Amino acid sequence: MMRVKRFAVLVLGLALVAAACGDDDGGGNLLAEVQDRGTLRCGVNDVVPGFGFVDAAGAYSGFDVDFCRVVAAGVLGNANAVEFVPLNATERLTALQSGEIDVLIRNTTWTATRDGQDGSTFLFTTFYDGQGFMVPAASGITSLEDLADADICVLTATTTELNLTAVLNARGIPFNPQGYADNTQLRPAYEQGQCQAWTSDASQLAAVKSAIESEGGEAQTILPDIISKEPLGPVVRDGDTAWAQAVEWSVMATVQAWEFGIDSTNVAGFASDDANVANFLGALEPSLGLPADFAVQIISQVGNYEEIYIRNVIPIGLPLEGSPNDLWTNGGLMYVPPYR
Amino acid sequence: MTQTTIDSSGRQSRVVWYRNIRVLRVVGQAIAVVGVVALLWWLFNNLVTNLDRLNINTDFGFLGRPTQFQVPYDEGFNPRSSVWSMMLVGVKNTLLAGFFGIILASILGLLVGIGRLSSNWLVARLATLYVETLRNIPPLVVIVFVGFAVFTFGPFPILSEADQFSLFGSDHSFLILSNTIWAVPSLIAGENAGLFWLAALAGLGAAAAVAWWRTRVRERTGKPHHRVLFGLGAFLAVAATGYLIAGDVYALSWPELSETGRRITGGFELNFGFISVTVALGLYTASHIAEIVRGSILAVPKGQSEAANALALSSFQRYRYVVLPQAFRVAVPPIISQYLNLVKNTSLGIAVSYAEITMLTQTSIGNGRPAPQSIILLMGVYLALSLTISSLLNVYNRRLQLVER
Repeated sequence: MMRVKRFAVLVLGLALVAAACGDDDGGGNLLAEVQDRGTLRCGVNDVVPGFGFVDAAGAYSGFDVDFCRVVAAGVLGNANAVEFVPLNATERLTALQSGEIDVLIRNTTWTATRDGQDGSTFLFTTFYDGQGFMVPAASGITSLEDLADADICVLTATTTELNLTAVLNARGIPFNPQGYADNTQLRPAYEQGQCQAWTSDASQLAAVKSAIESEGGEAQTILPDIISKEPLGPVVRDGDTAWAQAVEWSVMATVQAWEFGIDSTNVAGFASDDANVANFLGALEPSLGLPADFAVQIISQVGNYEEIYIRNVIPIGLPLEGSPNDLWTNGGLMYVPPYR
Repeated sequence: MTQTTIDSSGRQSRVVWYRNIRVLRVVGQAIAVVGVVALLWWLFNNLVTNLDRLNINTDFGFLGRPTQFQVPYDEGFNPRSSVWSMMLVGVKNTLLAGFFGIILASILGLLVGIGRLSSNWLVARLATLYVETLRNIPPLVVIVFVGFAVFTFGPFPILSEADQFSLFGSDHSFLILSNTIWAVPSLIAGENAGLFWLAALAGLGAAAAVAWWRTRVRERTGKPHHRVLFGLGAFLAVAATGYLIAGDVYALSWPELSETGRRITGGFELNFGFISVTVALGLYTASHIAEIVRGSILAVPKGQSEAANALALSSFQRYRYVVLPQAFRVAVPPIISQYLNLVKNTSLGIAVSYAEITMLTQTSIGNGRPAPQSIILLMGVYLALSLTISSLLNVYNRRLQLVER
């Protein structure tokens, strides 16, 4: 009788646990969940200076990291309420799919396959990039044809290796890819000459080039050939439009502020006759689920797009003027829908 | 299914069904089965619901579509071939690393295990040092160390300035060493290679026949049979005759640097991923096998060694005919599990860019193939490999068992 009673208690306990876990919610209220939780879980890179980098003290910095803070400032009102989750290329989309992170801002390229097969939704492109090649300056390689039969280091699970295969096969250049899981194994292999070239997004190559040269390594050259389009931006899961829109309008607010001439130094007390500016600074309530003054919070706590770019990307050697990341009024591609 | 009890007044009575122990047992089993099945169904339903919500497909159709990326160190691989063929390449690479790793680990483990019991102080101490160091380092660290110490930061030059070794007077190199590729000569099958293999098969038959004949000779006359030597001789005779008759069987292909200095044409290439994984896992698993061998030798009763010495057997003969056969009986089951560990540890090859099945599966998942199906296939591959190895070796194990009446 004792044994039966103990067994019954065990079964009941399991049933309660199962009921408490329950099915995952059908989606659609991640915005409310994040605001309840009070912290944003943001997937980032931790080894690319300028975009997602963690220093010896454990502090995160970078272009993508700042956009995590932008989303936190917009949705939660506090740019520091972010839990950064460092991810490598192989696990980044799986972490997003499984719900481990709320948003992925980790120099991820927008492609059709990722939109479809990976169950993700790509938002406003924050950085227009392209794939390039880096070689040691002493090697004398000046064009892609010089790379015939070469070993080329590449990160696995990226659009980089697909583009490399497609473009070099199309041009009839034989090559051998050496695939590594992350930069900590790739960089020593490249620096010791195990591969003759390193291919990645031009922004990452600029970051690594400045890191190698400032640490006393050999001079590096980035080849002029850009072989692909790499639009980088934040990524969220499929099926939650409210969350996607909240993130997207938070991110786009930085570009709109730049266009209006609002930055972190003058946002407090910015006065203008333009009704659009008044709407932007809090007069409009479009029911996006964001607080009315979200733009003010974002600009005062993090800055506008130009400030974020100057803080993170200019130090690694990529100018803003003349690049595709310039404002549309200056000939670039940064153009956001009106906040009206 | 009725039971009866005898109560305090001595009268028999029927037991109610909910206190009948046999009924309770059956009901308990049924509840447990239902519970386990419900749990598994709930987990599976959870997975499928979430995948559907994210519009990720749950079938295996992705296997037929093009791979779109190049497999490292496999120039013959066409990126337009299917994902399934890429996975076969991965399985082949895993098998290669596992096979050569097992051979290296077995030989080295046997020698080090015996060496630890040697009466030579230096040999015994060196063997102990080897075992105690490598057993306590995780296999991934060993692989990364071998890869970095031998290749990345090691003594070998880059390929365009590779060390080429050739025999005196020959302008062919038989060994090329660099920090990414090592190359050795290989054989290229000529036209009559098939004929030669038929002759080799006939040679095997001849060897078996000769061995049987020599065994019969020994039964009749008591002379030592030397059947291995006779069999080998018969096989070589038939195979050599077949080789000479067939003519153009195999040609030697010498490895050479290509004109760009970045590739090796001809010969057989070993890339640094393969060498690192094989050597590192061979060294690591050998330290475990050495301990197993040592333990199994110590398990043989001391009287056996003393009796062998009393019969004036040499040290080699004592090991070969008395100690090791008895020791293997004890050693083979744990060695089987060490072999399985070695095959599974090849999955750490991604750290040195070795294109084995785990690395290729992770790459394809990162490039948009559905993760659950890919991981299930990966687990299936390792399951099939492990079951095959263990069942083959268990056949050998059963032959060693002591048969008791």
